[in-house]
Amino acid sequence: MTRLTGACHCGAFTAAFDTVDPAALQVRACQCGFCRRQGARTVSDPAGHLRLAFADSATRRYRFAGRSADFLICQGCGDYMAAVMDGVAVLNIVAADIGAFADRKPEPMVYDSETPEEKRARRLARWTPVTLEVRP
Amino acid sequence: MSGADVSWRPGGCHCGDVRFEVMTAETVEAQTCNCSVCAKTGFIHVIVPDSRFRITKGAERLTTYTFNTHTARHTFCSTCGVKAFYRPRSNPDGWSINARCLDDTAGLEITVEPFDGRNWELHADTLAHLSQEAS
Repeated sequence: MTRLTGACHCGAFTAAFDTVDPAALQVRACQCGFCRRQGARTVSDPAGHLRLAFADSATRRYRFAGRSADFLICQGCGDYMAAVMDGVAVLNIVAADIGAFADRKPEPMVYDSETPEEKRARRLARWTPVTLEVRP
Repeated sequence: MSGADVSWRPGGCHCGDVRFEVMTAETVEAQTCNCSVCAKTGFIHVIVPDSRFRITKGAERLTTYTFNTHTARHTFCSTCGVKAFYRPRSNPDGWSINARCLDDTAGLEITVEPFDGRNWELHADTLAHLSQEAS
């Protein structure tokens, strides 16, 4: 396993991503209105592990559309760090500033036609098992 | 900037709490920036004078983040975190609008040039003219 670490700009929200081969992971540029405005690019590894550490009082759990995942936003600096749902997550490598993916060309992703069931199944199959270390 | 091609164009954050309008021509000069804060959102800067920008909704919903010299006032929506505009250090008398947050870029010709914000002191003077009011 390789451990890739990152943080939001103010440093309050940190991420540690364990994955076997970063070069083998797909870098995704979701084309939804939220991800486009945030300039987000995400990676995930169902065989890896993600640890997210943040203060509950300093983190916004933003939900929209189907309200099926929490989009975690640092309330100190505004950075969108990760989305979580039912024990799995995707990491925004742009906000976390993870250099291992800096030169990778992202693949545009459009999920508009998914049903809620399809969206949930895709996330459970593709996202990374996550541990949340939540401070008060 | 003058002529019939100049107009107010709306935009906003994702959740809709914060809305703005910016006056631009159809040809827009924009910058990406590789500094520590811009690189985390891929902010596409459209810098305009103070008179060509207005917040139309949700000023009270903004959170302000500052660091280093605390000159730039990085504002984001408290609900969805989106950075739609801010007061840049290079142009504290003007505004930088994030082209990603315009409702519609149809009909706009946006030319994006990289700005080397990691070496801000060496290059900031190249942006200063962008916030000057037309005389």
